[in-house]
Amino acid sequence: MSLLTASKIGKNFGGVVALNNVSLTVEKGEIVGMIGPNGSGKTTFINNLSGIYSPTAGNFIFNDEDITGFEAHVITGKGISRTFQNLRVFPNISVLENILIGLHCKIDISLWDVYLRFLKTRKIEARAREKAMKVLAIANLTDSHDTLAKNLPYGKQRLLEICRAIVSDPYLLLLDEPCAGMNPVEMDDLADFIKILQKRGITVFVIEHNMRFIMSVAERIIVLANGLKFAEGTPTQIQNDKKVQAIYLGDEGDL
Amino acid sequence: MFFDVLFVGIMVGAIYTLVTIGYSMVYSILKLMNFAHGDVYMFGTFICYTLLAKYNMNPILAIIIAAALGGLLASLVEIVAYRRLRAEQHRMISMITALGAAYVIQNSNELKWGNQVLPFPSILSTEALHVFGLNIPLTQIITLGIAVGLIVLFTLFLKYHSYGKAILCVSEDIPTASLMGIPINKTITMVYFIGGMLGVIGGILYSSSYNAVSLAMGFRGTIIAFTAAVIGGIGSLSGALIGGMIMGICENFIGVYVSSAYRDPITFLLLIIILLVKPTGIMGVVEQSKV
Amino acid sequence: MKNTIIEQKKPFNDLKNTKFKSVLSLAKNKKGLFVLLTLVCILLPNMMTNMYYLGIINYMILYSILCMGLNLILGYAGLLSLGHAAFYGLGGYATAILITRYGFGFLPAMIISGIIALLFGMLLGLPTRKVRGDYFCLLTIAFGEIFRLVAQAWIGFTNGAMGIVGIPIPNILGWSIRTEVDFYYLGLMLLAFTYFTLSLLVHSRFGRAFIAIREDELAASVMGINTAVYKIIVFGIGCFYAGLAGSYLAVYQTTITPSNFRLEESCLMIIMVIVGGMGSLLAPIAGVIVMTLATEYFRGIAEYRMLIIGVIMVVVLLFRPQGIFGTSAFKG
Repeated sequence: MSLLTASKIGKNFGGVVALNNVSLTVEKGEIVGMIGPNGSGKTTFINNLSGIYSPTAGNFIFNDEDITGFEAHVITGKGISRTFQNLRVFPNISVLENILIGLHCKIDISLWDVYLRFLKTRKIEARAREKAMKVLAIANLTDSHDTLAKNLPYGKQRLLEICRAIVSDPYLLLLDEPCAGMNPVEMDDLADFIKILQKRGITVFVIEHNMRFIMSVAERIIVLANGLKFAEGTPTQIQNDKKVQAIYLGDEGDL
Repeated sequence: MFFDVLFVGIMVGAIYTLVTIGYSMVYSILKLMNFAHGDVYMFGTFICYTLLAKYNMNPILAIIIAAALGGLLASLVEIVAYRRLRAEQHRMISMITALGAAYVIQNSNELKWGNQVLPFPSILSTEALHVFGLNIPLTQIITLGIAVGLIVLFTLFLKYHSYGKAILCVSEDIPTASLMGIPINKTITMVYFIGGMLGVIGGILYSSSYNAVSLAMGFRGTIIAFTAAVIGGIGSLSGALIGGMIMGICENFIGVYVSSAYRDPITFLLLIIILLVKPTGIMGVVEQSKV
Repeated sequence: MKNTIIEQKKPFNDLKNTKFKSVLSLAKNKKGLFVLLTLVCILLPNMMTNMYYLGIINYMILYSILCMGLNLILGYAGLLSLGHAAFYGLGGYATAILITRYGFGFLPAMIISGIIALLFGMLLGLPTRKVRGDYFCLLTIAFGEIFRLVAQAWIGFTNGAMGIVGIPIPNILGWSIRTEVDFYYLGLMLLAFTYFTLSLLVHSRFGRAFIAIREDELAASVMGINTAVYKIIVFGIGCFYAGLAGSYLAVYQTTITPSNFRLEESCLMIIMVIVGGMGSLLAPIAGVIVMTLATEYFRGIAEYRMLIIGVIMVVVLLFRPQGIFGTSAFKG
């Protein structure tokens, strides 16, 4: 059974058809990439999957459960985490606090506990902090744990956002254009980081423009164009596909 | 009886529209809730009162001077208090600043004119016109005429005059308008000026009809302006018209047939209902923001 | 890779990023300063000769409770509520009616008042899903005004504009609270309660959730935070303290009238929170002190009160929107 099955996903915005009959699967432990020209619907797909929008057609089955149309916070609770194309770390709080917010679902403390069960709360909070620091260690951000997120260099903020998404041990991680604004060295580091995540058992679904990055990271690639699934295959297959090259002509993405 | 109330409602509705236009324009362009709007135009109305009652000035001259001064005050508030905050991320901050400005102006008005109700002289004669078997006071007809005339004039201004078109461009998209060579600051100041002027004239017409002017009308005016703007839909002139009319007519009917004491709570209730049901108002467009 | 274990956040840590830290670091021993402060607070009335000044301090304590609750809503969750005075008044009326008409003791009345304010506060939190941003602010104004107008009009229940008078001296377990000094200690205890309970909340995942909502609501929901529910919670809790404060006001003033919760009051609270600094637990107290002293100083010219408040509002927001001790979240 696939980890995620998207069947005939469609999304309309008023009269605009952003997604049309998109079906795909993601298997456990894979790194899947999604590419396509600007406006092809990649981010819309992730937004529908993560619960920010509701698809107008089709459904998402995740871990044998139909999660179509669930709200964002519920879907996160099911084990799907994501990052954003335009970077949405919480700017005015520290790196550590950002990560702790990522753990929100996993910290099992109710209001009752907060006011009346101090010891339990203190213990769980301490464990949460340890976990957060461990994740920061993997990304080499330990020294900045106290820095305000907005004061971090851009590349590190991106890393922070990913750390925040993985600290809750999600089954599936959605990355929306994680390379935007990165230099080649940072991109290579990110590619390595994603492979480390895979070793830790996280399934990764990446949207990216940057072909070099996707080719180096993804095991399987899905091509979206004009809201339709255009092609699917291994990196080599996609790279050699003339039709895929054609839809990129005249577009900014580097082949 | 019914038609009397209806006609008064329409007249008051037109006045409310005048008052709402300034507020709605500012919000649609700058997303700023100008809490000072009502108090600013009350300043103009009070000035007119002084000019008429103390100096026995010619009404038309008094209105022109008062409107100009009101417009000036509105522009002044913009330049001093609001301009710096235009780029502000947290709109909350500009909103609270507007509140502060409102308090300053309201208190200043109070210091000069006190908080009692003052007798505002009737500008227009109190004769009645006999039409279709109804007795409609001349002043109501003229008031309605003036209000409607101004609304029409302003619509034409927006559509055909270059400054008017500039305002429309700025309300669409400020960066683009500025790239087109439109002087943003001047245009925005003009928006405040015109809004203030229209508000003052509305206030004068209102006070003249009811022969009363008081400090409390300022805050009330602000509430009416944003309720009408929300009902009709922010940013559209027709929205201001529809909202103003609905407010004017409803208020009057409730005031006469239910109880005048419940007039204000019902205004607020109307506001709450509209906010819960369709915050974008009757003519408004729901914005889908891109994620 | 270091394996550091982070120490539990102490109450003063949330002022980390503000000037307060530099002030505090002067005190060699944080615990020592805390003990000193407590001693000063307890012994304060003995050092005062003029009860008038103690009265002012009592008002400052009252507003501190109000503003700390409002700060939770405004500073931590980023929600602008211009109707906070309504819950203040609700608490006051609830206590007044429970005591004068149903013979409740003060302590139970105060607790019930807090709960009533909490429930109505949650009501205000409900529409936040449908009504966004600026429109929500309008909603809070309308909410507040309707409460006041209803209190004025419902003469049978609230005695209309005259309000409820003759609220008797409160009595908690034998302690009669009648003098300024008595009220001082009562206020101090309420303030301490407010601070400690808020501190617990703010350092938990709930506090972080509120901050997340303020920083980026969309991202917050993607973190698994049910933003609609949390907004209801934050309103409920923030307004609970307003209810407590109203309860205190009722017995302190022995009367409650609708004019206790005009829009002006809400605005005053907002400006106190802003001047003190939003998003930092103790910062509102600074704002309360500044604004109270300002209005006291100008007491002789009472008719300029709103003017001065208005000017302070505009100036602070133009030049230092994060207030004295606030987080950088609101820096211009």
